[in-house]
Amino acid sequence: MSDRETLGAALARCGISRRALLKYSSYLATLMALPPAASSAMAEALAKARRQSVIWLSFQECTGCTESLTRSFSPTLEDLIFNLISLDYHHTLMAVSGAAAEAARLEAMKENAGKYLVVVDGSVPLGDDGAYSTIAGITNRQMLTETVEHALAVISVGTCAAFGGLPHADPNPTGAVPVSAIVTGKPVINISGCPPLPEAMAGTVSYILSFGKLPELDHLHRPKAFFGDSIHDRCYRRPFYERGMFAKSFDDDGARNGWCLYELGCKGPVTYNSCATLKWNGGTSFPIQSGHGCLGCSEPGFWDKGGFYRPLAAGTGSPGVAVGAAAIGGVAVGAASAALHRRRLHDQGGEKPK
Amino acid sequence: MSADGVAGCGLRLRTGLAKAVLSEVARLLERLSDAGETGAVDLHSLPMTDGDRAELEERLGRGEIEATLSVAGVSRVWETRYAGVWWVRHFGSDERIAAEEIAITHVPQILVAHPADIRAAASALRDDLATQPPQGASEESRHVGP
Amino acid sequence: MTLLDAARGPVLQLALAIFAFGVAWRLSSLLLLPFARDKSLPRTGAPPAAFAALREILRRSWPQKSFGRASLFMTVNSYVFHLGLALIVFAFAPHILFIKSLFGVSWGNLPNNVIYAVAVVTVASLAAALIRRISNPVQRIISTFDDYVAWFVTLLPVLTGLAAASHLIARYETLLAIHILSVALFLAWLPFGKLMHAFLVFVTRGMTGAYLSRRGAQL
Repeated sequence: MSDRETLGAALARCGISRRALLKYSSYLATLMALPPAASSAMAEALAKARRQSVIWLSFQECTGCTESLTRSFSPTLEDLIFNLISLDYHHTLMAVSGAAAEAARLEAMKENAGKYLVVVDGSVPLGDDGAYSTIAGITNRQMLTETVEHALAVISVGTCAAFGGLPHADPNPTGAVPVSAIVTGKPVINISGCPPLPEAMAGTVSYILSFGKLPELDHLHRPKAFFGDSIHDRCYRRPFYERGMFAKSFDDDGARNGWCLYELGCKGPVTYNSCATLKWNGGTSFPIQSGHGCLGCSEPGFWDKGGFYRPLAAGTGSPGVAVGAAAIGGVAVGAASAALHRRRLHDQGGEKPK
Repeated sequence: MSADGVAGCGLRLRTGLAKAVLSEVARLLERLSDAGETGAVDLHSLPMTDGDRAELEERLGRGEIEATLSVAGVSRVWETRYAGVWWVRHFGSDERIAAEEIAITHVPQILVAHPADIRAAASALRDDLATQPPQGASEESRHVGP
Repeated sequence: MTLLDAARGPVLQLALAIFAFGVAWRLSSLLLLPFARDKSLPRTGAPPAAFAALREILRRSWPQKSFGRASLFMTVNSYVFHLGLALIVFAFAPHILFIKSLFGVSWGNLPNNVIYAVAVVTVASLAAALIRRISNPVQRIISTFDDYVAWFVTLLPVLTGLAAASHLIARYETLLAIHILSVALFLAWLPFGKLMHAFLVFVTRGMTGAYLSRRGAQL
C-alpha cells in the first residue's frame, strides 16, 4: 500500500466501506466522550488522512502492552485501527529481523521525517551506561534519542514507559527511567497501565490522525478522555463504600455479595483509568468485578506504595520500631526529669520522697 | 453478573434518566422541525441502568423502518414511533454494544451511501459488465461494495 | 515521591514517633514525681480517696447547679464535639483500618454517610466553641495561644477529611494527603499542649477530688 494514498482510498481497496469508517468514528467518539456530531467529521478527516507511520520501540518491558493491543480485539470494529496505521517497526511483530529490521526503522524515519509517531513500551535503563538493555548493538537510550529526533510526537504506552513501572521499582537495579526523562522538546503522551487499555491506545492514535492534534492531557500527560475519572468514582461497588459495607477477606460473604474491596487494599480512589467503564477483554470484566481490588497500575510508583493488600487508609511504613523507640525515649526523659526533681527536693532537705 | 457491567449489580431500578433523555430528544426534534438542524444523544456515555434503557426504548417505541447493517460487525437502526427520531445501535465483537445513539435527523448518516462508495461501486459495476461471467455462474447475491 | 506517598510514609511515621515520645514523656514525668504525703487528718465523714476521686470525675461531667444556665451551653456543646470526634475517629471504616494497621485490633463501622453528617455537626460545634471563646469576656481573657492552636489542629483534620470525602476543591489523592498531614500535625501537637487532657483529664479530676474531699470541701 502506497503511503501517498488516502486512507479512504486504501480502505476502499480492502473492501472497507465509508460506513465502516463512520461506525468506527462513532465508536471512538463514544470512547472519548466527544459530541456525537464529531463522528462524521472524524470519519471524513480519517478518509482524507494518510496512513500514519508508527515506529514502535520496546525497551525494558514484558510485551504485555503489545499483547493488550493486538490480542484483545476480534476482527470486527475495534481492530480497524490496524488499517489506519503503518506499523513500520516493531521488533516483536515484524517479519524481518536483524539488520533488515533496523534498516526498516531508519527508512521509515527518513521517509516520514517530522510526521511519524514513536510508540514506546518499556523503561530505559541508564545504569552502567545503559548496558542492561541493548538492541542491534546500541543502548535503549541511544535508540530512543535518535528515533524521536524527527518524530511528530512520542506515545509512552504502559506504566514502564510512562513512569518507570516495574524496572523503576525500589531498588531500581538498572537505573530505569521513564521516556519523559529522556525525550525533551517533543510532545510525550503517557498511556499508562500495566498493561494499558487497548481502547486508550487505539483511541489516542486515531484522535491524532483525525484531528491532527494531541488530545487534552492531564498533569501526568495522560489523555483526559481515558484518565479523567478515578476507578472509585466509576466503580459499580461504590454504593457499598458509601454504606460502609466492606469485604473483610476474599472469600467472606461480603466479597461474595460484591461489597467494596477498600479494606482489602483497593487503590481505586487514587487511580485514574477507564477500567471501570470500558473494562477488559472486549468489555467482559475488570479486576474489581472479578473480585480483586485495583492495584493502581496506571499511577506512578505503584509498586512502592506499601503493598497491594494494604488499605489506603493505613500508612505505608511499619511504625513499630521507630515509634516504640520514641516511646521508650519519652519514658526515659520523663523518668530522668522526675528523678532530678526528687534529687532537688532531697538536697533542699524538704519533703522526703516516699 | 451480566456481561455489560453496570447491570452486574442488578440495576433494574429507574433513575429518571430516561425522562431526561426524552426531553432532550423532544428539544432536538423541535429544532430539526423548525431549523432543519440535526442532532444526536450519545447513550453509551450516560450512566443509564438497564431499567432506564428499557424505559427509554419502551417510551420511544418502534416506527416504520428497521434496518440491520453488516458493517464491521452488526449494526441495527430503527425509526422510533416519532418520525425523525432514530435509534442507532452499533455492535462490536461478541454482540457487545460498542456505540449507541439516538439520532434526530431525516436519515441516519450510517444508512446513506457515501459518494466515495458510490463512485467505487459504479466503476466496479462497469468492470463486472466488461468481464461478463459465463451463464449459470450466478453471483447476484454478492454485495458490490467498494 | 508524591505528596500522598510522603504523607502516608515518612511524615506519618515522624508524627507518630513525636506523639509516642511526647505522651510517654508527659505521663512518666508526672506519674514518677514524688507524691507529697498528706499529713493533715482527714475530716470526719470524708469518704475514701478512690470514692472521692470517682465522684469528682462524674460531677465535673455534668453542669453544676450553682452556675445555673451559664455553663449549660459549654457542657452540651463540649459533649457534642467530643462525641462527634470519637465517632469520626472510631466508627469510620478507613479510620478503623488505620488503627488496625497500628495496633492490629478492629471493630465494626458506621455507614460513611452517617459519619459525614456527624462530621458536619462536629465542625459546627467546634465553630460554636470558638465563637463562645471569643465573645465571652471572661473566657477570652483566660484563653492562651495554646487554646487556639488546640482548636485549630482539631478542626483541621475534620475539615480536610470532609473535603476529601466529598472530592471538593482538588483531586482526591491531594485532599487525602492534606488530610493525613493535618492528622500528623494534630498528633505531633497533642502531647505538648492542652490537648494532652485526652490522657490526663480523669487523672487531674480524680486527684483534685481526693485532695479536696480529704479536706472536707463540700463541692
